[in-house]
Amino acid sequence: MKAGSNLEKVLSAGHFAVTGELGPPRGADVAAVREKTQYLRGMVDSVNITDNQTAVVRMASWAASLILLQEGLEPNYQMVCRDRNRLAMQADILGAYGLGIRNMLCLSGDHQKFGDHPKSKKVFDIDSMQLISMVKKMRDEKKFQGGEEITVPPQMFIGAAENPFGEPYDFRVLRLAKKIEAGADFIQTQCIYNMDRFRTWVKQAVDMGLTEKIYILAGVTPFKSVGMAKYMQKNVPGLDVPDALIKRLEGVDKKDQAKEGIAMCCEQIQEFKEMKGVAGVHIMAIEWEKRVPEIVEKAKLLPRPKMEG
Amino acid sequence: MFSGHNKPLDTEKIKATLEQNRGKIKLSQAACASCSLCAESCFLYRGNNHDPRYMPSYKWLSSLGKIYKKRGNVDRAFLEQTRENIWKNCVLCMRCYCPFGIDIPGLIGLARSIYRSQGVYGIYPYTVGAPEAENAHDPDGK
Amino acid sequence: MVIAEVKPLAEIMELIKPYKKVLNTGCGGCVAVCLGGGQKEVDTLNTRIELTCRERNIPLEIGGFTVERQCDMQFNAEFDRMVGGYDALMSMACGAGIQFLAERFPAKPVLPAVNTVFVGVNKEIGWYEERCQSCGDCVLGVTGGICPVTMCAKSLFNGPCGGPQDGHCEVDKDTPCAWIQIHDRLKAQGRLENILKVFPAREWQNQVQGKLLLEEYRGRYVKEEKQSPVKK
Repeated sequence: MKAGSNLEKVLSAGHFAVTGELGPPRGADVAAVREKTQYLRGMVDSVNITDNQTAVVRMASWAASLILLQEGLEPNYQMVCRDRNRLAMQADILGAYGLGIRNMLCLSGDHQKFGDHPKSKKVFDIDSMQLISMVKKMRDEKKFQGGEEITVPPQMFIGAAENPFGEPYDFRVLRLAKKIEAGADFIQTQCIYNMDRFRTWVKQAVDMGLTEKIYILAGVTPFKSVGMAKYMQKNVPGLDVPDALIKRLEGVDKKDQAKEGIAMCCEQIQEFKEMKGVAGVHIMAIEWEKRVPEIVEKAKLLPRPKMEG
Repeated sequence: MFSGHNKPLDTEKIKATLEQNRGKIKLSQAACASCSLCAESCFLYRGNNHDPRYMPSYKWLSSLGKIYKKRGNVDRAFLEQTRENIWKNCVLCMRCYCPFGIDIPGLIGLARSIYRSQGVYGIYPYTVGAPEAENAHDPDGK
Repeated sequence: MVIAEVKPLAEIMELIKPYKKVLNTGCGGCVAVCLGGGQKEVDTLNTRIELTCRERNIPLEIGGFTVERQCDMQFNAEFDRMVGGYDALMSMACGAGIQFLAERFPAKPVLPAVNTVFVGVNKEIGWYEERCQSCGDCVLGVTGGICPVTMCAKSLFNGPCGGPQDGHCEVDKDTPCAWIQIHDRLKAQGRLENILKVFPAREWQNQVQGKLLLEEYRGRYVKEEKQSPVKK
């Protein structure tokens, strides 16, 4: 065990893991965080806490992660490279670990121009790959990035993201290999809609032996409506939404679109459960957390395993 | 040739500048022994197949030197014809070396200053309005 | 070379407002080449200022003079005999030149008429693009001649991120993804292995004001300390 977190135990025991996601509020609104947890409790093994997602300022991910711990859930503490330099990052990691956080996700972060402070200065002192290496060095070598000893080193379970549909396509599996070399223990993918392309990517990863070295959690986001599907196809960088899916949603009554979206999502999860090389699913029901219990139930993912220790 | 205006030169201004720098120009002209060591130190001379038009001594003598010899009585055409000697053929990198201590970069700088005072200055290939630019490089390759 | 862009006229008028006589100084170097602040641009700007002053009845006298470059002090010496007659100096040189001018005439307010925008290339007339951010630790040999610091919006060293779409950066449809370009170029050269290993965290070399003193010239500027004989 590297960190001994619930997520790590579930994955290493060979169960199909389920993670959720929670975006912190746009204010010091602790109650809002607590409110969202009620839909996730018992439904997932751990919950991603986003870090100023899309470069929009929200309550710090470490703070919202701590609230989750208080609520009895396990957070996946996300950290992006856009807003912090290596000093601040290491300091935050020490604090987070000291207060009970055990899972981390090392991400680049959307460019600040997308957010509410578009002309702020970017940091990117280190990139996501270098952040993974740094957290691994802190954990395994018990040293800071600069080389000095850490008195009480943080033992984090290290996660990263990978986009199977990102360009250049032939490089994506090689980049996954790099993340493994850097020290990632698990990855979550961007939300998947194009199952054919995803199958190809996973097969490549399996053939390269990568799935023996890292846990891959496939990302899903259920469509609430045709409008949402079209928006994501056009406006969200790095997504591949096949037209067939949009047609399928257009084929049902407006009031049934949400249900259809969830049904499509459950079909995907079923396939992921059976796909060699996929160790779990990451459900991103953004601003739709109350439907997570329904999805998890329909996809036959309950009950979640209770791990000892 | 482009100059922007066809005004006659302000010869008095040229004469005044020459007068202010008379000692330096006169001494430099006298001291130049045509030893061509300055040429060896000019990367443009070396890079252009030792074309004598790039010799630092030539560059300043053919411009400032000539103006001085004519006591400032030159016309606009002269300035425009010799413009390229001190602009296109020199980047004022200031690396040229003279064993007699002639301040060649300073003299070229002084020449440029006189030309500028008459509205004649360096035209880079991409400057708007220059005839070179008008016929130049069309991005559509026509 | 260094690229600079003339500030909006409104901003320039605001800067020169407190003064009655201003000398607009041009530079024949980089800014002349990129049409930002050479002799021609000084004349053009002065004409615009004069017209504006006439319209608004502002009693301002504006002069203009251009030297070879403002980043070599010997050329700024040409201004010595002129500055006395002015309340303030305006400069169309790049930020470096403007500061040298200000250093030579510390008693005169010095106002920038341009914004220095980047170190870049001349693509076509009037079209300039950034290529270098002077990080001081060039890796172009590894990345196939494409700069990850400058050309990647996130300055990634292990890119690309998850953002590119149709070959362009998430930041702008017209900006290519630098890491896709790096990948494609290295692949075509048979050097893809350069980016298959993890590029470790950088030691950023440009976080303090830069200074370069060439070894062969050191002796001119730095007096070596004489070794005193060891006392017994």
